[in-house]
Amino acid sequence: MASLFKQISAVTSMNVRSIPQRAAMSIASVVAVALAISVLLFFLALGHGLSQTVQGSGANDVAIVLRDGAGAELNSVVTRDQLNIIAQAPGVVRRGQAPIISGELLVIVDGNKRSTNTNANMPFRGIGPEGLSLRHNVHIVQGRMFRPGTNEIVVGAGLLREFSGFEFGRTIRLRGTTWQVVGVFEAPGTVFDSELWADVAVTQSLFNRPNVYQTMRVQMTSPAAVQTLKRFVHDDPRLQLQVLSEREYYAQQASQSTGQFTIIAWFLGVVMAIGALAGALNTMYASVAARSAEIATLRIIGFSGYAAFFGTMVEALMLSALGGVLGLVISFIAFNGRSTSTLSSGFTQLVFRFELSPGIIVSAIIVAVIIGLFGGFLPGIRAARVRPQLELAAQ
Amino acid sequence: MTDLIRLTDVEKTYTRGKEKIAIFERLSMRIEQGDFLALMGPSGSGKTTLLNLLGGTDRATRGTIEFDGKRIDKLSEGQLTNWRAQNVGFIFQFYNLMPILTAAQNVELPLLLTNLSPKKRRENVATALNIVGLSDRARHKPREMSGGQQQRVAIARAIVADPKLLLCDEPTGDLDRTTADEVLGTLQLLNRDLGKTIVMVTHDAAAAKFAKRTLHLDKGHFVASELAA
Amino acid sequence: MNRITYLLAHILLGVLAFLVFTRVAPGPLFSAFQLLFFILSITLIIWRGINIGWRNWAWLILLIPVVNVGFLLFAPSKERFPKRNFIEITPDRSTTVDDVRLVRWNLARNSVRTILLSVSILIAFLLFGVLVSFNVAITDVRTAPNRMVTLSKINFTESLPIAYFDRVLHTDGVLAATHMNWFGGYYQDQRRGFMAVFAVDPDSYLRVYQDDLHLTPQARETFLHERTALLVPRNIADRYHWRVGQHIPINSNIFTNGTNGSHVWDFTIAGIFETPDGNSQANSVLIRYDYFNDTITFGRDRIGWISFLTTSATVNDRVAHAIDTRFANSQDETSTQDAAAFNRSFAAQLGNIALVVTLVVGAAFAAILLIVGTTMALAVRERTKEVGVLKTLGFSSGRILRMVLGESMLLSLIGATLGLLAAAGVLYILSHLNGGGGGGFHLYPSVIGISAAIAIALGLVTGILPALSAYRMNIIEALGRR
Repeated sequence: MASLFKQISAVTSMNVRSIPQRAAMSIASVVAVALAISVLLFFLALGHGLSQTVQGSGANDVAIVLRDGAGAELNSVVTRDQLNIIAQAPGVVRRGQAPIISGELLVIVDGNKRSTNTNANMPFRGIGPEGLSLRHNVHIVQGRMFRPGTNEIVVGAGLLREFSGFEFGRTIRLRGTTWQVVGVFEAPGTVFDSELWADVAVTQSLFNRPNVYQTMRVQMTSPAAVQTLKRFVHDDPRLQLQVLSEREYYAQQASQSTGQFTIIAWFLGVVMAIGALAGALNTMYASVAARSAEIATLRIIGFSGYAAFFGTMVEALMLSALGGVLGLVISFIAFNGRSTSTLSSGFTQLVFRFELSPGIIVSAIIVAVIIGLFGGFLPGIRAARVRPQLELAAQ
Repeated sequence: MTDLIRLTDVEKTYTRGKEKIAIFERLSMRIEQGDFLALMGPSGSGKTTLLNLLGGTDRATRGTIEFDGKRIDKLSEGQLTNWRAQNVGFIFQFYNLMPILTAAQNVELPLLLTNLSPKKRRENVATALNIVGLSDRARHKPREMSGGQQQRVAIARAIVADPKLLLCDEPTGDLDRTTADEVLGTLQLLNRDLGKTIVMVTHDAAAAKFAKRTLHLDKGHFVASELAA
Repeated sequence: MNRITYLLAHILLGVLAFLVFTRVAPGPLFSAFQLLFFILSITLIIWRGINIGWRNWAWLILLIPVVNVGFLLFAPSKERFPKRNFIEITPDRSTTVDDVRLVRWNLARNSVRTILLSVSILIAFLLFGVLVSFNVAITDVRTAPNRMVTLSKINFTESLPIAYFDRVLHTDGVLAATHMNWFGGYYQDQRRGFMAVFAVDPDSYLRVYQDDLHLTPQARETFLHERTALLVPRNIADRYHWRVGQHIPINSNIFTNGTNGSHVWDFTIAGIFETPDGNSQANSVLIRYDYFNDTITFGRDRIGWISFLTTSATVNDRVAHAIDTRFANSQDETSTQDAAAFNRSFAAQLGNIALVVTLVVGAAFAAILLIVGTTMALAVRERTKEVGVLKTLGFSSGRILRMVLGESMLLSLIGATLGLLAAAGVLYILSHLNGGGGGGFHLYPSVIGISAAIAIALGLVTGILPALSAYRMNIIEALGRR
């Protein structure tokens, strides 16, 4: 066993030292693996970043109320009467007499995407007086909060990063009236970071939707109280509504939008990995062919076929691992942490960052190693089958 | 007899690194039509270089080379290639057959440089293989033949386009005595019956005996000349 | 499918195939390629479920004999096209040799290598075919240049008062106009049964979109007169096996039906229609505005947007300006633009898809360029001695250069053909997974054309360095004797 190990390491070091002789082909297959890994990482990081942002938006002690069957905020309708009934439900946190609730109306307004200078849909959310306190991680970083009853807007920092038209201090015309951007808020890693907020009553009247909300958010005393509210709504025939915890709602939304990216990532990643594998096999066959005289000589001296096999395997694994590492380096330099935006399930733009997770990095490494294993296996067998014949060694 | 080849004051130098190596300084020679000439000499004496010059695969640094009254040293690279295709057949030590082609296909290669139809090509190939006695091996690949057979395929390839001159570089260097004698016999036959002019480089004195005359080269000079018995 | 585009693409490919295959594999293989392409085209048409009309079928069926007869008439000489085995890639011991065969046999000599390279080229063209077709499908919705759309300035989801319709219709330069509402429709299951249902004014809709929908006179009549009539595109009807006359419940995820308090409306299928390839109305399900407007509980007498035709594309800007100024400073300001621009900006919202496609396809081609290029270099290096022999025999350097280039070109064409076939397969599966709801994807003739150009370029680029090194190779050094 020890002797076999020695043989393998001897053969491997000879192989590795002879790589420069096949430099062009070896580099080609390293680059092919690196590019395949980069493409896989690109879409996985895209999907993960998006999913993190959507999922990170929800608290589990805040309930979100939608029209039954609406599926998403944009399609939902909640009336003032329904809002008032729920405000009285058990388990709702109160500040003095007032329940901490926020009836909200989400409309779409046009913005301009900086990178492409094209029109984009911005989510414009009218929130109730308690809207800010219902969202725990939000704080104003510039200016101040809008004053209720006025045409004032606060804008998310993420939105400002990707889109123009809503800069701090700017006046905007919507529906024939002027709005003033009075503040910038930060809600890092949530969907709110790419929203515009204004007073819900003003929004209702200006967008011609008197007394109509789309959703309402309710601060519950505990996560368990969300269940109580669900039963409460279920038992009241006047309420054709659906109650979810904010976390449940956003987890649902996340799975819808990120599923596609994961599928795209693996489709493209695997297809490109097959291409890279073909390249790796090709390189390794060429390597075995180039070394056949050397292998035959070693076999005559007394090295075993296993040594030839493992030597080839190790060479293939080294090349593909190098490709994998190069792919990771490309990913970290080229896109990890970069901000981007896409159309969310609500037809509005959602700003998020590419995000590599340890899990994603591990799966990329696994793909690279699999390419190496397959790429070394068959050529390795060919190497092991080189017979210890003098005429082969003499070539 | 007329001269097929005439070399006058040929000089050939190589530069290897910074060093200049002179193979020939003032070499002159004539080869008559129908001659069978063996070139012998130690390694580095310039035998193979001479063969390359005669075949137009290498160029002299100075001097004139005439073939059939024409100056081939004046020809452009492309003209030289055409001239070679029409006038010279080559036979190498290691046969140099195409491994992917059968014997017949290998022999056919030079005919691709002519405008013969496939049918006519096939006939010529059959004739050439018949001359070297390998008609029954036409569909075999080089790998499936012995060294002697491969060399006879190479001879067939060399003569199929009916060149005037055959240049052989150690044609029996890789063969055993009996096989070598067979191959040399074939060459002798080509010289005697078909009137091919042959120049053969060899190390082997026994091989040289098949030629009409033998020239000994050393350090770029002819040191001896003998006629066959 | 646009007939002219189709025919041009077919003829272009035919000529290309002619040029390539007369060098590499003339005769039967050329016809086989034609036949393959013909079958592929027809399969695509059937997949798409398009009625291209009997004239186009006749064109297609005529094309094969015409091209092949043309081929026979203009073929250089019989000498160059002797009878051959059908597809002959492996060395045949009984035939004569020629340059073209030598190229093919050289490629076949290391079959493992050739297969591996073909696979990697296949992959690049597969990605190219799928991704570019996908991009074309979502960005290149064909609309007439004089088609325009008026929406709320705030956003396309905001509605407009119905009174605006008449004012737009009577604006100078407007030929015909219609209005549409988004219904938020789905059948049975909100996610899987999603469909693009629009409430339209039947009379004006059919006037504005008269060339876009292939409809039987009977279906047209029913839709014009029956309140609960429903028009369904062929792909959706096929998916649910719907027939004309059938009653279908459609849900809305936005509106409530005032007559029954639910989100369900009942419709009767008036007709099943087909649309030309890439048409904007391709996956639209149509219901009547009057039925919709009378039954909804909120948002009554409002319309989603107005689609209209101008008298000529040259007046587009003037008309847009006239309309938008008319409603400026009102409660509902408008934004009027041509339909193509609107579609493009909508697709652009998904992200910069073109850039992503370019990056991914670029990565794939960069990888194969390296793999194939280095392997071709190795292949020629391995054959150094043979190149030397050929040169000694009197083969000109130019001829050897062409043989090496022919080899890389053939390899690239094989890979590209296989890759596009695979892409067609993947697109077929994708459009069926999608249920036809999101628009069927297929290989566009333009994509095939561009692929052919890329394949040739790839063949040249990967082959040129090895070919030049073979071209320059010195006989003496190649044979290793001096």
